[in-house]
Amino acid sequence: MRRRDQALLLLLAPPAIVLPAAAAHAVQYLDLAAAEKTLFADATRFEPVAITLSDEQIRTIKQASGTRTPIPTDRVYRALRGDQLLGHLIVDEVYGKHEFITYAAAIDPSGAVLGIEIMDYRETKGGQVRQPEWRAQFHGKRASDPLDLGEDIVNISGATMSCKHITEGVKRLLALHAAALEGR
Amino acid sequence: MLRRARPLLGTFVEITACAADPASEQRACDAAFGAVADVHRLMSFHEPASELSRINREAHRGAVEVDPRTFAVLRRALEIAALSHGAFDCTIGARMVTLELLPALHDAAPTEAGSFRDVVLTPPNRVAFRRPLALDLGGIAKGFAVDQAVEALRRAGADAGCVNAGGDLRVFGDRAWPVALRVPDAPRALVALPPLRNRALATSADTFVAGGHVIDPATGRPRTRPLSVSVLADTCMDADALTKVVWLAERPPTALLETLHASTIVLRASASDPASAAHALLDVA
Repeated sequence: MRRRDQALLLLLAPPAIVLPAAAAHAVQYLDLAAAEKTLFADATRFEPVAITLSDEQIRTIKQASGTRTPIPTDRVYRALRGDQLLGHLIVDEVYGKHEFITYAAAIDPSGAVLGIEIMDYRETKGGQVRQPEWRAQFHGKRASDPLDLGEDIVNISGATMSCKHITEGVKRLLALHAAALEGR
Repeated sequence: MLRRARPLLGTFVEITACAADPASEQRACDAAFGAVADVHRLMSFHEPASELSRINREAHRGAVEVDPRTFAVLRRALEIAALSHGAFDCTIGARMVTLELLPALHDAAPTEAGSFRDVVLTPPNRVAFRRPLALDLGGIAKGFAVDQAVEALRRAGADAGCVNAGGDLRVFGDRAWPVALRVPDAPRALVALPPLRNRALATSADTFVAGGHVIDPATGRPRTRPLSVSVLADTCMDADALTKVVWLAERPPTALLETLHASTIVLRASASDPASAAHALLDVA
């Protein structure tokens, strides 16, 4: 064992009783203003776009992907530099078995994806951070205390969460763009 | 501190940068996401246009010149293959195509009888196969992408940061980063570890993959285990590759881990009572 890991890992001597803590795993990466700035750095202003879809447009858009959340017609923004249209920013939500994700997609006037940023990530029933007793001793707090990470958010190593729900979501946004936003 | 996440490499890549000011943090994150996207573009098995796909199509007919990054990953993959006596073998792609875990993308039928010993690397950047093979870098490229993102953050002036690609992570800088492991059979439960400094941590588990995700080169079948295997190492590339070696071993391969300055943590699933998932421990080596 590597010396530098030794102090860390010796603390893991079994049995490591893991007690529940209150923290839920949820991260806010970007709010709307930060997402706008990140995805359209050159834009000078953003305008909400009012969209009303016909039944046929709704059918077409729903056929484009398996995403089941409502079509985000009320969270579409035009990114402008002066009067020039740089593209659209759409805020959308998708969910998987374990997670619920809000993301923003930037789509250029021709219908090509310019970028995707995750805005919020939440595990559906709230991830429980379990703090083993050894860890609590290490930090001099009770094991039943929630992990106090200050401003930090715990970095999780573990099985890969697939991002296929976002891939499906983006397909639907491109269908929405084709149906209602091209040339607007 | 700026933290952003994007869907990349088929998972969520989360990048945290600490720099002097928000604009530098933004630039550092952009550069790091760019570095990850570059690795994806070069080493994706699924993209016919990737450099890896070109190698798989052409390298059995003669040497192919590749990007230095691809060459670096292949060189490390072969080193770890040799050190692990083939427990880690990136020529497993042929078998994974047969098992329909990877798509067949070209007609040069790769041979399942091939092994890492049939891959010939000639510095500085040439790759050749002794017979048709299908390299799959799925067990190492994600870790390398994390390392490249860390390099990009540093070059862009970040003085500390964390890159986490779906559970393969690396931290750097004068700062202790809080980390936790998912419990194998209770993915919403986490076990907190003491904070990490200047270290990489990768974890393999079947939690979200039905039917197993690690193919045993010795049997050609997926090996499922009620475990999660984590490895701490200096680079995320090493940590990523070594999780597969530990996964397939009956006991943690302590000599190999020692040689590569790595350590492992094995969490056992507690199928009877996932809620108290706790006593999840463990083998530590």
